Amino acid sequence: MNVASLLVELVLMPLVAFVVGLAMVLMMRRIAARLQRRVGPPFFQPLFDIVKLYGKHTQTSHGLVHDLGIVMAVGGYIAAETMLPVPGMTGIADKGGLVVLAYVMMVPSLGLALGVGQCANPNGSIGISRALTAMLAYDVPFIIVIFGVAFHFGSSNLITIAAAQQAAGIAGWGVSQMPLLALAGLFALHGMLGKQPFEIYVAPAEIATGPMVEMSGKHMGGLFVMQCFQLYTAAVLYVTLFLGGGENWLSFLAKSFAVLAVPVSLAYLFPRYRTEDLVRLMWKWPTMIGLLGLAFLMH
Amino acid sequence: MTSLSDIPVIQTPPEAPARGGNPLANVFDDFIRYCRSRSLFMLHYCTGCGAIELPPAMTSRFDMERIGIQPMVTPRQADILLVTGYVSVKTLKRIILTYEQMASPKYVIGICSCTVNGGMYWQSYATAKKLNDYLPVDLYIAGCMPRPEAVIEGLKALRDNIEAGTSDNWKDYYQRYDHYLGNQQRLFGADWQTPTEVIAEAKHYGLFGPDTLGEHTRRLEDHRKPLEPLRMTLNAGRLEHME
Repeated sequence: MNVASLLVELVLMPLVAFVVGLAMVLMMRRIAARLQRRVGPPFFQPLFDIVKLYGKHTQTSHGLVHDLGIVMAVGGYIAAETMLPVPGMTGIADKGGLVVLAYVMMVPSLGLALGVGQCANPNGSIGISRALTAMLAYDVPFIIVIFGVAFHFGSSNLITIAAAQQAAGIAGWGVSQMPLLALAGLFALHGMLGKQPFEIYVAPAEIATGPMVEMSGKHMGGLFVMQCFQLYTAAVLYVTLFLGGGENWLSFLAKSFAVLAVPVSLAYLFPRYRTEDLVRLMWKWPTMIGLLGLAFLMH
Repeated sequence: MTSLSDIPVIQTPPEAPARGGNPLANVFDDFIRYCRSRSLFMLHYCTGCGAIELPPAMTSRFDMERIGIQPMVTPRQADILLVTGYVSVKTLKRIILTYEQMASPKYVIGICSCTVNGGMYWQSYATAKKLNDYLPVDLYIAGCMPRPEAVIEGLKALRDNIEAGTSDNWKDYYQRYDHYLGNQQRLFGADWQTPTEVIAEAKHYGLFGPDTLGEHTRRLEDHRKPLEPLRMTLNAGRLEHME
């Protein structure tokens, strides 16, 4: 691959991720609306929100680290998008692999923690401490799942993993080969999205959206962009690990949206767990299921 | 004033022609304004009985989200400050603090008669009568109380005003800060101050008007205490207790 086409891919992959992410946000809000018997937002609502937030006249920044934190939050996901192979584009997925991806996916939370720290708002500090605790909780099953998949396919290269599944057909997909790990992965994915049972760190009524409490204008806009990337990254990673990756864009997008629809549909039916209950739940059930799946795999 | 014709009508200046005669010069601004009107985050400061009309307006019966309005919980994120009912003097201080923390463009909606003219609290010594004296209100939804249909209608009217570019009272707060501060001082006393530097913001964002400074802002300077960061010690809260 020459340098020019690589550069084009590095630009295109986050852009595609952003557009698909906007549609995913729309789907999430529409599902929430349907479950609550509402009409839901118009088609371009996620775009309107982001443009409006970036177009704010006055911007409140609490200092350099506040700005940099948002850059880290968005930048971490942009880096992650270039390592997720999509149909026709691989970017630097060949060089990255699962382990680097797992590291890069933690950068946004840490960046957010830095940025929120400088806001010096107690609600924000409580929120981000809860968010990092939640990360500690869902990362244990997440790493187990990643390790299991890499072990099964004998590689941590996402392109190899996707190609192996596509060659073997549906019977060779991760979800048919390792159903227990797929289940644990779905749990971890739900925690990663921070949706309803696991959204104690946002808690709008109690701590005023926690990490987002001091974000306005472009900072909030950055977080809205981050949300698009977050939904895309989680869904595409799951599709690549367990559902055979993308042979073409149609099946790839259909699989990604279907994967995302599962946690999102469940989300709006439940109240939330407290932080310690969340950790207990995550370290008990998905971890146990994941370890059991590993045992079957290695046996 | 006895007749309607005596009320002065403020003439709005004709719209400035597009830059350099290019019809596409304002396309970007128009797009942002359109997005602004289609995405409104609402901070509901529920002071009085009008608050009870908001849940049906937000949830499945009337669903505000279909016109792009959704509730937000902090002033930093919000575009609309919704004041739903009578405003006591004590509450008004909090409303002003909240309003000044919001990012512009910001809009204030007064719901119920109480925000228009005091309503049934007209004779109360502890109630601010006209919200418009203390904050630049963009829209009143009158009624005691207005039904959710009226609330939705009002929000749609605000949306149309924003799209047409006629709803920019937030600039008025910067440009005539002296007037609003004067009314606030009349109610709260001469030593009233907020942590937000409205005058500095007006200068920074080019919204400084001839009436931004005046006798009331001079009085503000006399009484202004510099805002100092809280002392950072591990048991700062407990020290006072022990002494």
